[in-house]
Amino acid sequence: MNREEYRKAFDELSFSADFQERTADLLRNRARELEKERTNMTFNRTKRIAVLAAACIALLAVSVSAAMLWLTPAQVAEEHNQPLLAEAFSGPDAIAINETVESGDFAITLLGLVSGRNLDVLNPDLEKDHTYSVLALRRLDGTPLENQDFDFIRYTMTPLAAGCSPRAVNNWTLGAFASGLAKDGVYYYLLDTQSIEMFADRTVYMAFYEGGVPSNTIFTVAEDGTIAFADDFTEVHALFTLPLDPAKADPAAAEAFLNENDMGWTNERASAGEDEFETETRTDEDGNETVIIRPREDAPALAAN
Amino acid sequence: MVPFGTDETISRIVSAYSDMLLRLACTRLGSAADAEDAVQEAFLRLLTARPVFRDPEHEKAWLIRTTLQRASDIRRKAEQRNVPLEDVTEPVAPESPGEELRSAVRALPEMYGAVIHLHYYEGYSIKEIAKLLGLPAATVGTRLARGRERLRQMLKEDVV
Repeated sequence: MNREEYRKAFDELSFSADFQERTADLLRNRARELEKERTNMTFNRTKRIAVLAAACIALLAVSVSAAMLWLTPAQVAEEHNQPLLAEAFSGPDAIAINETVESGDFAITLLGLVSGRNLDVLNPDLEKDHTYSVLALRRLDGTPLENQDFDFIRYTMTPLAAGCSPRAVNNWTLGAFASGLAKDGVYYYLLDTQSIEMFADRTVYMAFYEGGVPSNTIFTVAEDGTIAFADDFTEVHALFTLPLDPAKADPAAAEAFLNENDMGWTNERASAGEDEFETETRTDEDGNETVIIRPREDAPALAAN
Repeated sequence: MVPFGTDETISRIVSAYSDMLLRLACTRLGSAADAEDAVQEAFLRLLTARPVFRDPEHEKAWLIRTTLQRASDIRRKAEQRNVPLEDVTEPVAPESPGEELRSAVRALPEMYGAVIHLHYYEGYSIKEIAKLLGLPAATVGTRLARGRERLRQMLKEDVV
């Protein structure tokens, strides 16, 4: 097989002639519906805040509670038009964390998380549980964070599990969707991943840091499986331990997940880059390509966790 | 970048990415109708999740990952109903010469199929695929080599 044959096979596929037109119409209609819902939601919330303000005005005159500075996870879910998720964040299965780490120019607060099935009304998944986590970010100097200016993709919010390679259990392997929004100068992350409760019989973390895919330039894994940021990782970072219920662990599911995703781990870094392998693509006279993968000669052996 | 949701951005994104995403979805799905569902769901997700993109490459990467996930969901649901995927809806051009190759790609473990397609159809390098899928380059290289080897085994009678 060469590239030409492959392209020909997939070029043979035919799709509905009106797919683009039909899809664009569907999206435009949905966009209008969402805009209407957002307008209604804002109006309703304004009314509720007015009632609350009247009741609490004496208290507000004395001091502003720290809690009032943040949206709650339920409010963040509401901002994303997720009523079931908002309800779950207010329910008995929600885990409130409210821990703050200051790093670089930021205060990073993990507000809470909740796990459950079919909580996402916009993208329902009846087949598997998800975990939803909310994190708030604000600048220590008080400069507001705005949607237009904040470089969302520069940072990663990801679960990690002790005893598992950070390459095996992370945002990418857990099929994460991260959404962000700024509100009153605070930037909120809403992270949707496959449920992390299967790992609940070990220490499970939520990491936030400036950078991309977890690597050994960012994390180290101790012999006992404990995960920490590398000593020389100086970018913005915070690591929270999640108080999950060990009774909800599913060791069989965790093992299956790791069998599917584990790529090993070593704290020792390759001298010429972060990859332990190097690749070479060779093309023969017929256009067939062979990709050769080999361990870097200067790389230490991979250690599976 | 301009938030997704205006008529202009909807037209731009649907026009720019539909063909690429539909074919990518067909690495996991055997029918055009299922692929169209997966791509529509990915676009809808873009509308509702409102992610903020740094640049067009980030936007493309997000759509590729989301489409692959939606395609996997559709496939899993069909498998859980114990219905062979091709039986869910009529397969696309079952008599076409390329169907054997497409079937072999669909039979690959999912982690290999996307990498194979992005390399062989879209022409991306290992490093570019690593960026698009959020994987280390070495992992992409390994998946490309293993996926290619499995394809060779499945198509061995036809590969010179």
